[in-house]
Amino acid sequence: MRQVESLKRFTLTDMVIGFFLTLFGIIIIYPFYNAILVSLVPQHVYVKTPFMLYPSEITLETYKFVFGNGALINGLKVTVYILIFGVIYNMLLTVLTAYALTKPLPGKKIIMGLIIFTLYFNGGLIPYYLLIGDIGLMDKIGSMIFPTGFTVLYMLIIKSFFEDLPQELEESAKIDGANDFTILFRIILPLSLPILATFSLYYCVERWNEWWNGMLFIKSAGKRPLQLILRTIVQDASDMLSSEAAMDASRDQKVFADGIKMASIIVTMFPVMCLYPFLQKYFVKGLTIGAVKS
Amino acid sequence: MDTLGHTPGSKATGAVRVSQALKDVAKRVWHYKYIYLMLVPGLIFLVIFKYIPIYGLVLSFKEFMPKYGIMGSPWVGLDNFRYLWIEQDFWQSFFNTLIIAFMKILFVFPFPVFLAILINEIRAERYKKVLQTVYTFPHFLSWVVVSGMMFNLLSGSGAVNAIWASLGFDKINFLSNEGTFRWLLVGTEIWKQAGWSTIIYLAAIAGINQSLYEAATVDGANRLQKILHITWPCIKNVVVLMLIMRVGYMMDAGFMQIFNMYNRAVYDVADIIDTYIYRMSFERSVGFGITTAVGFFKGIVNIILLLTANTIAKKMGHSGIV
Repeated sequence: MRQVESLKRFTLTDMVIGFFLTLFGIIIIYPFYNAILVSLVPQHVYVKTPFMLYPSEITLETYKFVFGNGALINGLKVTVYILIFGVIYNMLLTVLTAYALTKPLPGKKIIMGLIIFTLYFNGGLIPYYLLIGDIGLMDKIGSMIFPTGFTVLYMLIIKSFFEDLPQELEESAKIDGANDFTILFRIILPLSLPILATFSLYYCVERWNEWWNGMLFIKSAGKRPLQLILRTIVQDASDMLSSEAAMDASRDQKVFADGIKMASIIVTMFPVMCLYPFLQKYFVKGLTIGAVKS
Repeated sequence: MDTLGHTPGSKATGAVRVSQALKDVAKRVWHYKYIYLMLVPGLIFLVIFKYIPIYGLVLSFKEFMPKYGIMGSPWVGLDNFRYLWIEQDFWQSFFNTLIIAFMKILFVFPFPVFLAILINEIRAERYKKVLQTVYTFPHFLSWVVVSGMMFNLLSGSGAVNAIWASLGFDKINFLSNEGTFRWLLVGTEIWKQAGWSTIIYLAAIAGINQSLYEAATVDGANRLQKILHITWPCIKNVVVLMLIMRVGYMMDAGFMQIFNMYNRAVYDVADIIDTYIYRMSFERSVGFGITTAVGFFKGIVNIILLLTANTIAKKMGHSGIV
C-alpha cells in the first residue's frame, strides 16, 4: 500500500502542506540563524542592516571576547560539575526508587501516595527558599544539585519498564544467592540501557539549563552556572561590559553588546545543538514510551 | 485485620490473630529489607525537599521574622490573607495568570494537533525526519537562551522591526508594548514547545490501523475526508485528555518564560502569581509571610483544578494524570 501511495503524483495538496510545514521550519530556524549572523558581523553592519540573509562581513571578535571572559568559562566549569554529579544523583534516586516500587512491599500504597501527592501540591517558593538556608546549602553548589532528585514521571515510566522485564532472570539469580542490589545493578540495569540513556539525557539537559536555583541561592560570582551568567548578559550586559576588558574593547569599537549577547547564546547552546540531531531518537523515545503507557 | 479474622478455618482468638498478622507483615518487611533500603534515598529526598516546604506553609499564618525562623515567628491568624484580599496587584496577577493561561489553551494548545496531522500527511520520509528534528529542538533550550534570541529579533532595532519598517509601518517594541506582550508569550510558546508536543499526537496517529485508510481509499475517500473521518476520531481521545490536563495546570501560566521575558513596562499585563511572589519576596520585601500565603492560595486553587481534571479524565476511562 505504502508503495502505491508513494507512486502517486505530487498533488497540489502536497504542495500546500509542504509549504506550511517548511514555513514553520523556517520560523523555527530563523532566530538561530539571526543569532549566528549578529554574533559574526561587526557592529556597523548590524546597525545598518538588522535584517540579514547572509553576513556581508565576518569578524570573530565577539567570540574572542566570550572565550576571553573568565566569568563564562568559569560558569561552564560550574555547569559541567553540576551536570556530572547532578545526573548521577538523579539516576541513582530514580532507578532505586523505581525498582523498589516494582515489589509488593507492605506499605507500598502509602509510599506511592506520598510520591503522587507531590505532583498535586507543593510548598511554593518561600518555604523552599527558607529550607535551603536552614539545611546549610545557601551559596553552596549543592543547592543546584540536591533539590532536583527524581522526576516522578520518569521514575514511573522506568518502573513500568522494569515490570515488563522477564521475571525468570531475577528468580534464577535469587536462587544463586544474589541479593537485591546485585540483581538490580548486575541484571536489571544492563537490560535497561536504552531507556536509562533516554532519561539520563533528559536529566542532562535539565542540568545544562540550570539557572533558577543558582539565581535564588548563589551569591559568590565564582559559583554561578553558565546559564545564569548568560542571563545577566542577555538581560543587561552591564555585568560583563563594565569589566575592564570590555571597556577597552568598546573604546576600540571592536565589540558590541548585541554581538556579545548572541555569541554567548550560541556558545551556550552549542553542545546541545551539535548532539541533538544524533541523539534525537533517544530524546523522542522517552515521550513515546510515556505516551503509550498512559 | 477484619478480613483476616474472617478467613475460614481461623480459630485463634483476636489478640493472637493480630499478633500473627503483625508477625506476617514483619516477616515480609524483613524479606524485603534490601528493597526498603533502596527506597531510603528517594524518601529522604521527598521528605526534605517536598514535605518540609509543605510544612513551611504554616508561614502563611505567621509574620516571618528571620531571627526566629519559621517555627519561632509569631502567629497572625488570617492577617496575611486579609492583606491580600485588598491588595490590587495580587488580584491583577491572579487574573493575568488566568488570562495568559486561557490564551495559551486557546491558541497554543491546538497548534501541535494540526501540526501532527500535517506532518503525518508528508510522504517524503527523509524530509519528515528533518522537519521533526527542527521542530522538536527548541524544547531543549532554556528560556534564558530563547528569550535572549527573541529580544534581539524583536527589539526596536532588531530584524523583525527592520522588515516591518521596510513595509512602511511604524516600529513596535514588542517587548515593552502592553498590547503585544501577551501575544508574544503565545508566539514564543508555540515556537518553543509546539514541535515537542506533536510527538504524543504523532504516536497516537502511528497507532491507527492502516487498513482503515486502505478501506477508505478503496471507497474513494480523499485526503481531507480521511483526516476528518479516520485520523481525527482516532486521536480525539488523546487530544481531549491532554486538554483536560492542560486546564488542570491552568495556574501555571509559564513562570520561566514570563520571568525571562517581561519587564517593568508590561507588569500590568504580564505579572502572574509566580512572578508576583518572586518580586514581592525578593525585590520589594513585602514579608515572607504574605508571599507564602500567595503560594498557599495558588496551591489550593491548583489542587482543586487538578483533582477536577483528573476526575473528569478518569470518568472518561483514562488512567488520569499518573
